[in-house]
Amino acid sequence: MDIPILSLLIVVPLIGAIATLFMGGEKQKYAKVVAGVFSAITLVLALLVLFADDMGALAESYAWIQTSAIAISFTLAVDGLSVLMVFLTALLVLLVVILSAEEEDRPNYFHALLLAMEVGLMGVYMAADYFLFYVMWEVTLIPMYFMISWYGGPRRHYAAIKFFIYTHVASLVMLIGIFAMAFEAAQITGTGVVDFAFSVINPAIAGASEMFQVLVFALLFFGFAVKMPVVPFHTWLPDAHTEAPTGGSVLLAGVMLKMGSYGIIRICLEALPLGAEYWQWVVIAIALLSIVYGAYGCIAQTDLKKMVAFSSISHMGMVMLGIGCLSEAGVTFAIFQMFAHGLITAILFMVCGMTGHKVGTREIPLLGGLAGRMPMYALFMMIGFMASLGLPGLVGFWGEFPVIFAFYEFVIANDALWLILFCLLSLMLTAGYYLWAMQRTLFGPETTKIDLTHAHDVSKTEGIALAVLVVLVAFFGVWPDAALSFIEPYVSALANMGVVI
Amino acid sequence: MFIEYTWLVPLVPMICFLLIGLIGRKTPEKGGYFAIAGALISFVIAALISYEYLTGDTYPNPVVESIQWFVIPGSTDFVINLGYYVDGLTCLMMLFASFISTLIFIYSIGYMGDQGERKNRYYAEVSLFLTGMLGLVVSSNFLEMFIFWEVMGLCSYLLIGFWSFRHPEGDAASANAASAAKKAFLVTRLGDVCLMAGLFILLGEFHSLDYSTLFDPANIAAVDSDMLTLAMFLIFGGVIGKSAQFPLHDWLPDAMAGPTTVSSLIHAATMVKAGVYLVARGYPLFIQNAEVMLFVGVIGGVTAFIAATMALNNMNIKKVLAYSTISQLGYMILALGAGGYLVALGMGMEGAEGAALITAGSAGMVAGCFHMMNHAFFKALLFMCSGSVIHAVGTEDMREMGGLGKHMKITSLTMLIGSLSIAGFPFFSGFWSKDLVLEIAMEAGHDGTVWFTVMWILAIITAFMTAFYMFRMWFMTFMGEEGHATQHCHGESPKTMTFPLIVLAVLAFGSGFLILFGLDAMVSFTVTPDAFIVGGGEAGGFHHFEHIFTSPYTYLTIVLALVGIGIAYLMYAKKTMNPGAFNKDGESWLYKALTKRWWFPDLYNQISWKLGYGVARGVNFIDRQIVDGTVNGLSGAVVGGGDALSKVQSGHVQDYSSIVLLGISVISVLFIVIAKVMGGI
Amino acid sequence: MIPIEYYLVLGAILFAIGAYGAMTKSNAIVVLMCIELMLNAANINFVAFGAFTTDIMGQVFVIMSISVAAAEVAVGIAILLNAYKMRKTTELDDEQLRTLRW
Repeated sequence: MDIPILSLLIVVPLIGAIATLFMGGEKQKYAKVVAGVFSAITLVLALLVLFADDMGALAESYAWIQTSAIAISFTLAVDGLSVLMVFLTALLVLLVVILSAEEEDRPNYFHALLLAMEVGLMGVYMAADYFLFYVMWEVTLIPMYFMISWYGGPRRHYAAIKFFIYTHVASLVMLIGIFAMAFEAAQITGTGVVDFAFSVINPAIAGASEMFQVLVFALLFFGFAVKMPVVPFHTWLPDAHTEAPTGGSVLLAGVMLKMGSYGIIRICLEALPLGAEYWQWVVIAIALLSIVYGAYGCIAQTDLKKMVAFSSISHMGMVMLGIGCLSEAGVTFAIFQMFAHGLITAILFMVCGMTGHKVGTREIPLLGGLAGRMPMYALFMMIGFMASLGLPGLVGFWGEFPVIFAFYEFVIANDALWLILFCLLSLMLTAGYYLWAMQRTLFGPETTKIDLTHAHDVSKTEGIALAVLVVLVAFFGVWPDAALSFIEPYVSALANMGVVI
Repeated sequence: MFIEYTWLVPLVPMICFLLIGLIGRKTPEKGGYFAIAGALISFVIAALISYEYLTGDTYPNPVVESIQWFVIPGSTDFVINLGYYVDGLTCLMMLFASFISTLIFIYSIGYMGDQGERKNRYYAEVSLFLTGMLGLVVSSNFLEMFIFWEVMGLCSYLLIGFWSFRHPEGDAASANAASAAKKAFLVTRLGDVCLMAGLFILLGEFHSLDYSTLFDPANIAAVDSDMLTLAMFLIFGGVIGKSAQFPLHDWLPDAMAGPTTVSSLIHAATMVKAGVYLVARGYPLFIQNAEVMLFVGVIGGVTAFIAATMALNNMNIKKVLAYSTISQLGYMILALGAGGYLVALGMGMEGAEGAALITAGSAGMVAGCFHMMNHAFFKALLFMCSGSVIHAVGTEDMREMGGLGKHMKITSLTMLIGSLSIAGFPFFSGFWSKDLVLEIAMEAGHDGTVWFTVMWILAIITAFMTAFYMFRMWFMTFMGEEGHATQHCHGESPKTMTFPLIVLAVLAFGSGFLILFGLDAMVSFTVTPDAFIVGGGEAGGFHHFEHIFTSPYTYLTIVLALVGIGIAYLMYAKKTMNPGAFNKDGESWLYKALTKRWWFPDLYNQISWKLGYGVARGVNFIDRQIVDGTVNGLSGAVVGGGDALSKVQSGHVQDYSSIVLLGISVISVLFIVIAKVMGGI
Repeated sequence: MIPIEYYLVLGAILFAIGAYGAMTKSNAIVVLMCIELMLNAANINFVAFGAFTTDIMGQVFVIMSISVAAAEVAVGIAILLNAYKMRKTTELDDEQLRTLRW
């Protein structure tokens, strides 16, 4: 096909962002329409990519900064790993636009920020050049910062700055790693040109010493681990989520956290397999810690959104665990879990975010018996919670069961069967905190601690956004192969490269 | 020609669920007729399939059909399939599950008639539940089964919590329902997590979860037997949770907070049987190790006994039935465990002795499944009768009933039939199957280990207690002087409710005779060197009749049952015997222990609060103070350091110039010193 | 002939007095005067070294320095006078003058 479809995936939201940005004053009520149109076009493009006959043929490459000393290109490519994330990004942005149709406060800026974030996210997921990857990585940061600090809750400035600095420091560490790789690769190839393209660096780095790989893995892993986030680098996340507006939270948890795990697979595994092998047990220890710690963290929270934020830590730990197994099954289902968690957590944040402006508070002890007054709200919340706790037949189960199974295979091979107990404990805890939260918010006697007279059920636009997600959660739950068919070729390619066994 | 449509059996209720959810609100009875139609169609299809299968050529070999669902990649791929598996056990299960569901859905039209918009939710949830139950039964592999297993768990949660908000009886009742629903889900979840762990081991060892692969003796011989034993222990953990066995039994009495129809369908007739079904289904794997089977049997026996004790002094009509359900489930598990123990022993022996043990043991499977079916009929009947009573008098407390027999003739009679059946009165269905259970337990004690003799004694005592508490319930409800709730009684329930009662009463009386007409062949268990076969065994026929009535132990149980009924009559109908005399008027230690359910709820609470919330509070403290404290501390140090340094920028030119001068002086002195040291100047 | 050290010591003392005054006095005029003192200390050194090395450049620079100093004082005094007109003070620590700062 001649249409540069991947570039369009970046350019369309960019145009949309600029267009909505300048729709101040009278025109700002049309901003959502414009944003909707642009994000819908992006989703169509993403679907075209998803159903393309040959994804590899879509790759594009343009020279960007080319001198005698460095070569930076604008190279985009998609494969089984990125295409799901691209689809998820396009989908969630459109749904957030639909969900935020009632945003009253400067809607033009809000939608411009959303679309700008989409630009960055698309760039990260499609970049095939380390420099472009880094630039896009940072591009996602800025709209998110403004999203939190302009549209957030009462402690928004603290949260926004914490989010920005924490993740920015991490990405600087990552940048050092990228530079180290680029210069080492230039030395190994001996061309004297520091080329940042994946296709140049990855094969070159394969020849680097183990020590080099181990060190660079640590740098990059730190950068990605903070983004995911994993314990103990997670504390920015609950704060950011508590303060972020609903739409921002959905994107933050739904696709932005996935940047971290995406980076680990795309860079740490593909380019630095020896490093991955060296750090394997550390990765697994961190993953197990995140899973259990995140689950315990959830139980103690009183803010619904904060609880869901902690559950993200636990579930992203599951992704990390799958990656840490370094087996085909582990990585395949870690990617599936990324996708599944993106869908589920979007529902959760939409519903929990709604709670704030529908009944006035998200504090669980103040709520109770909402199901009677808000049946649709209760229904969506329950589906989200059930999917998240891994109810079989919904998508979350296929992220959990096979990952733990992959881990089981790993511990059997390493004679450490007791480690599986952590996973099983977390399954129990996950069910515990979700059910306890439901019992206290949806069921039981209707609360008298807050005024519920103005509480209203899910509106039509919100209902559409949620229903789409629920249908997808059920669809992929019944037919996981629909997503696995994209992932499997990618992972078997990794296996052929000897990255995973 | 029908078997290839087995997948329709769970699919029809699923379609009904969607229909009820989407358009049910606009139809009469809010979708109730869809639910009935779905269950009925499933029953008809199940009946056709069963007929075709049982008369077909392949019988007793299972009919398996599956498609590849997805693959977990590995050095050898782990293939997960989706399909159906039909054998004698499947036929038995899907027949009685869909049949009882149909009746209960019809009953619901009357029982739930006054619930308004909520009915929509009710019918959607029960249809989804039926999908789960039938799907579980026809699944062709453990993972597929596990999915339906959990779908049922979800429905159970939803239906226990049916009144968890806006309860017609007020806030306390909604809070109670919400808490009961959570407890049921979490306690069974504990079992499910064990089950899942067991599945990991099976999948890891066999590279498949298909029944047809797992039940192949050649494959079983090839795997690590220690891991297999561990897997079966873990899978039995799932059974303990789902079938409410000791020590995870305590959720079931609480689950009575749901509508009575739900208690009848899910918490008596079908879902709780899923655990028993799982043991029966996994028999080829369970019997690989006698220790596992001993464990199964002991858990079953202990559960039967403990649950029966708690039913003795309960005043809530539904809770008495709930305890008796747990107790009867214990019987089934005991039968399967005892029989399996003998089979396992027999498989370890050579020659005729081993073969004899296997033959003797396979009666355990028959006893367990037979009791499962009979119990489904009479317990569904009992629950629906209690529902009819509750519907009429508006309370569940038996002290406020009494003398209802005059007002509700059909209900009292059908409930009497159910009670006689469960008490093991001769020729009623419970009599036949309970006797088989006791017999296999005794045989396992005789040929195997003394543990089963202990279990047999417990089971005999349980049989006595069962007769006593069931008739205590019946007499307290229908006989004696009229309680004050009876005086406001609406009279007999509508026809939609009494019709299912009558049908079930016929079955609760008569289903036991099926054993004389070859039912035992359908669920028999045969061990051959290259296969484990369910069904197709030799039908005992009237041999059972002869066997039962020539055994002295049969008369022992009959006498015990009659004594139990007699004591209940004296205490609660004739009132010549004062129950208070036996328990110091409710002050005795034992009475209190029973009221407190042997402190199990307290134990659960302690564990969940200490291990769950207590640790969580600690983690949260660490998170806030140490982990986040470090982060904030670091940023504080940077900001604070900046603040401290910024003090230097006072804005006074004089300060700046002083510093410049000082600096120059220091540099000059340094220069001179360095120059001196270096030997310059 | 007076040894050069005497001139240098005089210059150093003068400079020290000037520096002390410039850094501690709060009156702007005094500060300006002290700056003049420091300049003159430098001038003395110039002249002294010029005479000592019989180099005319020393005196040339002194003339240069004096004229620059004159210009500087003129500008300084002008600023001070304006500041005084506006804020009625020449005290450097005074809030009135401190707020002139950006």
